[in-house]
Amino acid sequence: MALMARFGTEAKPISGGQSLTPMMNMRIARPAHLVDLNDLLELDFIRVADGVVEIGAMTRHARVASAPEVVRELPLLAEAANTIGHYAIRQRGTLGGSLVHADPAAQLPLIAVTLGAEIVLKSVRGLRIVAAQDFFLSIMTVDIAEDEILTSVRFPAMGRSTGWAFDLVSRRRGDFAMASVALALDMDDAGRVSSLRFGIGGVSPVPARLEVVEQAAFGHQLQAGMIAALAAQASAEIDPEDTPQLPATYLRELVDLLSRRSLKKATETLGETV
Amino acid sequence: MSGTKQIFLTVNGETHEVSVPPRKLLVDVLRDDLHLTGTHTGCEHGVCGACTILVDGQPARACLSYAVQMEGHELRTIEAMAADGELKPLQRALHEEHGLQCGFCTAGIVMTFEAYLRDNPEPTEDEVRDVLSGNLCRCTGYQNIVSAVLKAASEMREEAQV
Amino acid sequence: MTDALEFSHIGKALPRREDFRFLTGQGRYLDDIKLPGALHVAFVRSPHAHARIKAIHAGEACALSGVVGVFTGRDLAQWTTPLRLAPPIEGLHPVEMTTLPVDKVRFHGDPVAVVVARDRYIAEDAAELVEVEWDALPCAIDAVDALAPDAPLVDETLPSNLVSHQSFSAGDVAGARSGAARVVESRFDLHRHTHVPMETRGCLADWDGGQSHLTMHIGTQVPHPMRGQLAARLGLSETQVTVISPDIGGGFGQKIALYREELTVAALARHLGRPVRWREDRMENLMAASHARETRCLTRAAVTADGRVLGLELELTEDFGAYCFYPANYMARVIAMILTGPYRISNYAFDVKVVLTNKCGNGPMRAPMAITSWVMEGTIDSIARELGLDPLEVRRVNAIRASDLPFTMPTGEILEDVTPLETLEAAAGAIDVPTFRTRQAEAKAEGRLLGLGLCTVVESTTYGSGFYKAAGIPGSGHEAAWVRIEPSGVVNASVGLMGSGQGYETPLAQAVAEGLGVSPDQVRVHMGNTDVAPYGMGSRGGRGATAGGGTLYLCAQKAQEKILTIAAHMLNLNDMQGLRLHEGEVERQLTGDWQSTGIGLADVARRAYLDPLSLPSGVKPGLDVSLTYDPPPMTYSNATHACEVEIDPETGMIRIQRYLVAEDCGTVLNPVVVRGQQQGAVAMGLSGALFEQVVYDENGQNQSATLADYMVATACELPNIEIIPMHTPNGRTPAGIKGMAEGGIMGAIGVIAGAVNDALAPLGISVEKMPLSPQSIRAHLRSAEKSGGPKF
Repeated sequence: MALMARFGTEAKPISGGQSLTPMMNMRIARPAHLVDLNDLLELDFIRVADGVVEIGAMTRHARVASAPEVVRELPLLAEAANTIGHYAIRQRGTLGGSLVHADPAAQLPLIAVTLGAEIVLKSVRGLRIVAAQDFFLSIMTVDIAEDEILTSVRFPAMGRSTGWAFDLVSRRRGDFAMASVALALDMDDAGRVSSLRFGIGGVSPVPARLEVVEQAAFGHQLQAGMIAALAAQASAEIDPEDTPQLPATYLRELVDLLSRRSLKKATETLGETV
Repeated sequence: MSGTKQIFLTVNGETHEVSVPPRKLLVDVLRDDLHLTGTHTGCEHGVCGACTILVDGQPARACLSYAVQMEGHELRTIEAMAADGELKPLQRALHEEHGLQCGFCTAGIVMTFEAYLRDNPEPTEDEVRDVLSGNLCRCTGYQNIVSAVLKAASEMREEAQV
Repeated sequence: MTDALEFSHIGKALPRREDFRFLTGQGRYLDDIKLPGALHVAFVRSPHAHARIKAIHAGEACALSGVVGVFTGRDLAQWTTPLRLAPPIEGLHPVEMTTLPVDKVRFHGDPVAVVVARDRYIAEDAAELVEVEWDALPCAIDAVDALAPDAPLVDETLPSNLVSHQSFSAGDVAGARSGAARVVESRFDLHRHTHVPMETRGCLADWDGGQSHLTMHIGTQVPHPMRGQLAARLGLSETQVTVISPDIGGGFGQKIALYREELTVAALARHLGRPVRWREDRMENLMAASHARETRCLTRAAVTADGRVLGLELELTEDFGAYCFYPANYMARVIAMILTGPYRISNYAFDVKVVLTNKCGNGPMRAPMAITSWVMEGTIDSIARELGLDPLEVRRVNAIRASDLPFTMPTGEILEDVTPLETLEAAAGAIDVPTFRTRQAEAKAEGRLLGLGLCTVVESTTYGSGFYKAAGIPGSGHEAAWVRIEPSGVVNASVGLMGSGQGYETPLAQAVAEGLGVSPDQVRVHMGNTDVAPYGMGSRGGRGATAGGGTLYLCAQKAQEKILTIAAHMLNLNDMQGLRLHEGEVERQLTGDWQSTGIGLADVARRAYLDPLSLPSGVKPGLDVSLTYDPPPMTYSNATHACEVEIDPETGMIRIQRYLVAEDCGTVLNPVVVRGQQQGAVAMGLSGALFEQVVYDENGQNQSATLADYMVATACELPNIEIIPMHTPNGRTPAGIKGMAEGGIMGAIGVIAGAVNDALAPLGISVEKMPLSPQSIRAHLRSAEKSGGPKF
């Protein structure tokens, strides 16, 4: 912490190095100092208390994907973490590293935003807590001060009866997604949506919740027609960049498809863990 | 990031004292300073997997780590894999199944599966392909690598039973 | 199909001997060779696609501690001569290139200056400090635009960007058209690829001032031509240059030419009197090594109502990039030459244009003629579709049959001992076309899209001197070898080839063992060092087995004759009649059986080296035999690929359900290695057709310079490949060898396109453009949906 305070903009904390080092090797990022977090074992933890799962920034993806607490309390996070990169990358990459790097198509920022997680930042000045949706500012830019380190993330535990789904489309196994969708769904006793958290990744500078869709779903049963309507709305709601390589029309189609598949899957997983 | 730093690196059970600039990548220190040239640099951005080694038993890209980060950690490289001159089951299976051609990616694949098969002794073909997707091979089309991993896994299970 | 020949060692499935060193981290690739005091270079590269170099300021870079110097095109021009390519080929403009650009750069990534420093980190730091003043120029990025009259000139010494243009006509194409039931037009657009060897380029140059001698360590497929180029461009003689190729981490055609960076490093080593080394990083490799393939074709087939091809016309345009490391018609001409391949077509015409653009220059990439089979087989599929015929039947109707052989193609190429109809039937039978069609119809009823492709390949493998002479290209197709039995009876051998990972050491040892009559493990084959290996043309195309293996086999037979002559003398026989060397023992045939004579190779060797006075008269001391061999003008292998796909209509993703190849590549030296080549070639072809793409934006900025952007298929995207091996020997080559290793790419590109189009045919869609990305498939489905097709 003192090192970060001393070097300011010239320093970057490094954890797994799976995001920062490639940029340094390509000479895109060139910090003067790196502060190594790897030996900060106290940042590798998973704690469950009072309906909150707090995960240390240095927790590797492989552990996030397989830790029983995460699988139980945050199955959406576990599933998404298991799709990050490749096996070897998951053994080395960390939660904190992925969040501060903030690739628009990365899994963990999407899950943090979807579940409404809180990002815990520390500096010599003290502790600062930022809501995930405020933390991601734009492509690879986050709300973190020069002297701050991301130390942990606090996820509200998913209800045991919450339905969920995570799905993505990528060109090759392990590539960043062209589009991804994460959902957490709750229903009342009459089978009507009481809460929908609908996150979307890859198609905007930062992962985002589609609140319009969430509100439209509220109070409705999710029959096929409703699912199709919500998916169409999600697809219309996004405003992806249009390039010859990846046309916006195609991305809208993917979002429509992923939304349909995910809403269906979320309804199927409802109450599964009760 | 100028100047050099004196560090101790433990590689394949041996501790070396080296003086390295803090920005020097682990793969370069292994190759240049410790003369362990079996670990190859294929892309320097963590995609190809050729430089994969084990750090505390887990696979890691040596092109994405700095040597100065590795003090106090146990490193293992391909040079430890048949130190007694006897190929290990996966190496043997890669030979028998023709799971390598130019050999440039091979060390990274051997190291990746050294960890994976230890933790997952009974993988399916799909699981092997999933893990292997982190290592690019331009020569083989992967088919024979996959069959070699499956063969080695089965041999290792048999050995474990004996 | 003729039966395979019988051999003792050729054709045995021996695992590779080089594996042990690679599996234990003991391979020696370029970067593993250390020379004390070696300096490192980093290149300063152009951020522009096309720009004049106004000034280069290196003061700040030179001031950095550890920097030895910064050098530019002007410096290199003093130490090296330019590369001039001016083969006497009609329609091909002569071109010339300096070692580093002096006046202007021609593509994003063009090297403009070089930094020499104590280590690589410092060299890269300093390269960032070199300041170049640019005057950006308009650029020509698309080949069609580059042909416009007002297009910016990539090479200002040429009248236009059309650097090469050839036309040809055989038979009566116009007559065929007028007599046809239908003229079927088809288009093919293959995108830009790059080779991506896992080991990037690099070299280590060591100048010995006292001896005035350069030792160049460089992973090269062609050590002797490389030596010749280095000597010529540096103003040295061939006695002053030694090229040593260590283990190579893949070449695929990228490691043939002497590139500008490598020549720069050699010149710097001589200028500075210090060893100098370079290892390309991956961004440089993807952006500036060499590119390949970007070719558009149009065919017009004049056909009868039953699908018989009466005449065929081809228009081809290749986007060659900015620089010619090879004559610009080098790759395209082969496509045009062998296009008709498996089919009986006699009226044929082509028009082939090669265009310069502001992109990285092209080079031959494994199967430089990759598009050929897609164009021919895609044309056949178009014919079948337009006429409502079964594509398998249209193939059968047109296929060359055994009774047609030898068959002279309209371009004059002669096909002998090929079996395209046999591989077609084998592949079609194995994939079981009727059963597939039933499944396809059932799937269609469920809204699923299944497709089957068939692609027959006739692959040109070994180019003999006769080919080069006929083509007007200076050069030779011969190869040279020596076989030396040492005094103890072990065998050293050498040939001018240099493998880049295929595994030459084992099959070539088998060829020697067969010719000589020893066990392969007694033989060591030395390659890659020009002071050791005889002058040969090196490794390119599919010539390794025929030219390399064939030459070694013949040379070893010659050595065996000498051994048996000596043995006969030792046995007090008049001549070697009835003797053979078998597993290193001299055997004599008595009443039909081979019996031991008690004399072994070691005994003969001892006599030859250590007791030469006891040799028969006329026999010279020693057992050191050399030989050159020039293969026939061309050898051909053939294959048929069959592939089933399912397309997810919602995402546009293609899943390969089954893939098989029936391949007839004649006598094979080692089926393990051949199978590996077949699988690897198919994988590279599929990866290219489905995922890989060099992307330039409209300003000529390379957008695919990382392995995250230039997507090589992983283990999850590629299928298992079933292989049906066939072995019709070539009657004109040693042991009946034909060669192979590129056809898999030709077949893969053609068959995946065929399978996708078969799946999409019910929707009226025909895909003409690669790569077959999900977004492009979706674009087709979307437009079909708009025009009333089913909605997915």
